[in-house]
Amino acid sequence: MVNTLTTMRTLSMVNLGLTVADIPALILEFLTLNSKPIMQVLLMPGLAFILGFAIIAVWFERKFLARAMLRVGPYYCGGRSGVLQVFADFIKLFLKEMIFPDSVDWFFFALMPVMLSTIPSLALVLIPFDANWVLWDIGGLSLPMFLAIMGIAPLMAIFAGWSSNNKYSFIGAWRVAYMYISGEIPIIICSAAVAIMAGSFNLVKIVEAQSNGWFFIPQFLGFIIFFLGVLIQAERTPFDIPVAEVELVFGWRTEFSGILFGFTMMAEYVMFQAWTLLFITLYLGGYGGPILFGNIVGSHIFWLLAKFVVLIVFIILLRTVFPRPKIEQMIKFGWNYLTPLALLNLFIVLGLKLWGIY
Amino acid sequence: MSEPKIKPEIMRMSWGPQHPMSGQTRVLLDVDGEKVHKIIADLGFTHRGIEKILENRTLLGGIIPVDRMAMVDSANISIGYVTAADKAYGLEVPERANWIRSLVCEMSRINSHLYAFGLQAEATGYFPAVFLWTTVDREILLDLFEELTGARWSFNFFLPGGVHKDLPEGFKENVIKGVQYLRRRFKDYWAAIVENYMFEIRCNNVAILEPKDALRLGATGPSLRGSGIDIDMRKDEPYAAYGDLDWEVITEDACDVMARTKVRFHEIGQSLNMMEQIAKEIPEGPIKVRFSPFMRAPEGEYYTRVETGRGELGIHMFTDGTTNPCRVKINPPSLRNMYVFERLAELNEMTVADIPVVINSIDPWYLDSDR
Amino acid sequence: MSKNNINDFISSVQKTLAEEIESVEQTNDNYVSMVVKPDSFVKVAEMLRDKFGYVIPVAAGGVDYPDENRMQMIYYLVNPKTRFTLTYRVNVSRDDPRLPTLTTVWDGMSFHEREAYEMFGIDFEGHENLVPLLLPPTWKGGYPLRKDFKGEGVE
Repeated sequence: MVNTLTTMRTLSMVNLGLTVADIPALILEFLTLNSKPIMQVLLMPGLAFILGFAIIAVWFERKFLARAMLRVGPYYCGGRSGVLQVFADFIKLFLKEMIFPDSVDWFFFALMPVMLSTIPSLALVLIPFDANWVLWDIGGLSLPMFLAIMGIAPLMAIFAGWSSNNKYSFIGAWRVAYMYISGEIPIIICSAAVAIMAGSFNLVKIVEAQSNGWFFIPQFLGFIIFFLGVLIQAERTPFDIPVAEVELVFGWRTEFSGILFGFTMMAEYVMFQAWTLLFITLYLGGYGGPILFGNIVGSHIFWLLAKFVVLIVFIILLRTVFPRPKIEQMIKFGWNYLTPLALLNLFIVLGLKLWGIY
Repeated sequence: MSEPKIKPEIMRMSWGPQHPMSGQTRVLLDVDGEKVHKIIADLGFTHRGIEKILENRTLLGGIIPVDRMAMVDSANISIGYVTAADKAYGLEVPERANWIRSLVCEMSRINSHLYAFGLQAEATGYFPAVFLWTTVDREILLDLFEELTGARWSFNFFLPGGVHKDLPEGFKENVIKGVQYLRRRFKDYWAAIVENYMFEIRCNNVAILEPKDALRLGATGPSLRGSGIDIDMRKDEPYAAYGDLDWEVITEDACDVMARTKVRFHEIGQSLNMMEQIAKEIPEGPIKVRFSPFMRAPEGEYYTRVETGRGELGIHMFTDGTTNPCRVKINPPSLRNMYVFERLAELNEMTVADIPVVINSIDPWYLDSDR
Repeated sequence: MSKNNINDFISSVQKTLAEEIESVEQTNDNYVSMVVKPDSFVKVAEMLRDKFGYVIPVAAGGVDYPDENRMQMIYYLVNPKTRFTLTYRVNVSRDDPRLPTLTTVWDGMSFHEREAYEMFGIDFEGHENLVPLLLPPTWKGGYPLRKDFKGEGVE
């Protein structure tokens, strides 16, 4: 708030007739006064983190899975490691023609991929990287807000599939809907259990409540269920049912081409990133960890990223070892096992809380 | 093909030929949500008129187009034609040539079953890793083919009255080495993939083909043996050296997709045993009998049946005393199995997600069914 | 293995179906060729399935004999007990090739009859779905496997 007021005052001074020579000094002043929010928007939970993650994760997934398949993966673009392949693909997607089939609903067809990759990234601003490093600190509303924002994403996938006016997209869109109802509910129940145990909906307080012991020990059941829920919500293998390429060409994404397809790919990684960060925050102690070199903020960010990388590698590794269930098996799994077990987990937590063990 | 009319609440999807899993065919699916009510197979995308081409070639020249009918299983396809040509010319094949023919056929069968298994794993949703593992293991066989015949694919190795070349130096040892490696790999595949829980829930009790339906609809090969009926041309009508080899017909009683997959798997085991036996016990002797490529076959008709990787292949050759056959009727296994696939939707409840799994358990080869 | 089976089958056919068939003989040691009179075509097929146990439909296809102005339709059948192939044949005139369908007897003959329909122009009366199987829907070039086919293609 103070920063904003200063900024406004600075800007009004420009109108008051300052000379051109003062402008660099003013910009410098603006930057120093607002360095933290700018860093947050541009670097840490913001743009660089999201884009950097998408690029590194795509590269790593391709290279790593290629090893599992006895191939070498991207090889020619950027030396043997193929690091520049992702950039090359990105440029290619930008320059490619966007094909709009005759019978699509133009408005939704063009809008939804863009929305899909931007709206889940809004949820990232709620993730605490340190007690003082939260881009949008809304206190006790942060966990419900996160779930609310992430809850919109599947709807946009459904709209995208429907507006494509393709039979495969249509079936894929309804599969998204089925996945949503079987995966979202266990996740919300598990989040409630965590909030009860921490005594707050505030993500910072949840992390700080875990300073004596991470929540995955008392809530091991919830830990497993939430992890499966993350896989379901982020459409990761083995639950990539809506885009199952051997069944539905590419599910709800079939008709997208050019950069619109690029946005849908980006959306997949943003969702993946957001859910994984929430998972770490709720069960694996969030940013908590030993302080390194006396730098509190830096070491907190480091620990969060370290946990994040380990989880990402594990989730990508799952992709090599599991086939995909059918959608009806998935719904059965969600409603017969995940939801009742999530409720059981909730009652266990209530019991622990009532008897004062936690 | 003209498309029959449908009810308004049914959606008709065109599954293929531009689909990641369809191959060179089109299947029309009448779906209501995820449920498949009816399957209509639309074949003919790779029709090349091989039966007509064969009428315009000499018996010897006909080996080449027949070989192209199923690239992945070319030895088993061409041995049907070559055996029919043997009969037409009245040639007595030497024993060693028969054993070499059996060896190449069994290698080709493993090649074909490996491909089918890799596709089956991919259809259940494995990331292509398993498919690529099987592709790498196939290299062992392709190297052996290259060493023996000079070509990795489509080796027109069989001649009427024998085979082109004798086994090269050190080939038997390479066969035994390859067999041992493949046995180790198949043990791993069995533990890692066939007994994987997720693979089981995708394959068990899907697309059940009762024995009476299998017979009635004309299923053949692993689709028929997966329903518990032990029809195998290598036993029923031994050609090449199969009468002298020790092996048994594999059947499974579960009748579902998993049963067909297991039949293929166990057949690979039998084929490996046969390869080893041939490498150890192959008799000495000549490998071909002399004949002229422009020999005239006497008038008559000759029918041979052989067991390919996909089932029974029949070649009915009519000769009229010239160098060319006057008609060759090819009864391909995949055409019969495609009809079974078309009717499976009526016998079972099937969803869109089952289609790739089921079609790969039937393992059709469209170049073979279209000819 | 199947010598006795083949001889048994031939003798029993000669006994019971002498009126309906034109000839039955063993051709090159592993299969039996049986030519039926066109009038009793379906009736004998039903008897083969029910009485002689030929339940497996293998394939069907035609052969063209332009010199004798006839075509022969051949059905390949297998009995799961005896395992040898029976070729069940019937002659049709080349001018007006017309046969009752055998899909009512053997379900699995559907694709093969469709193929014979497009390749030889034999009209199977009563076939539920008699549309070309392998040739494109725009095919106008005649019947490819007849001997007088000149190689015209799609228009």
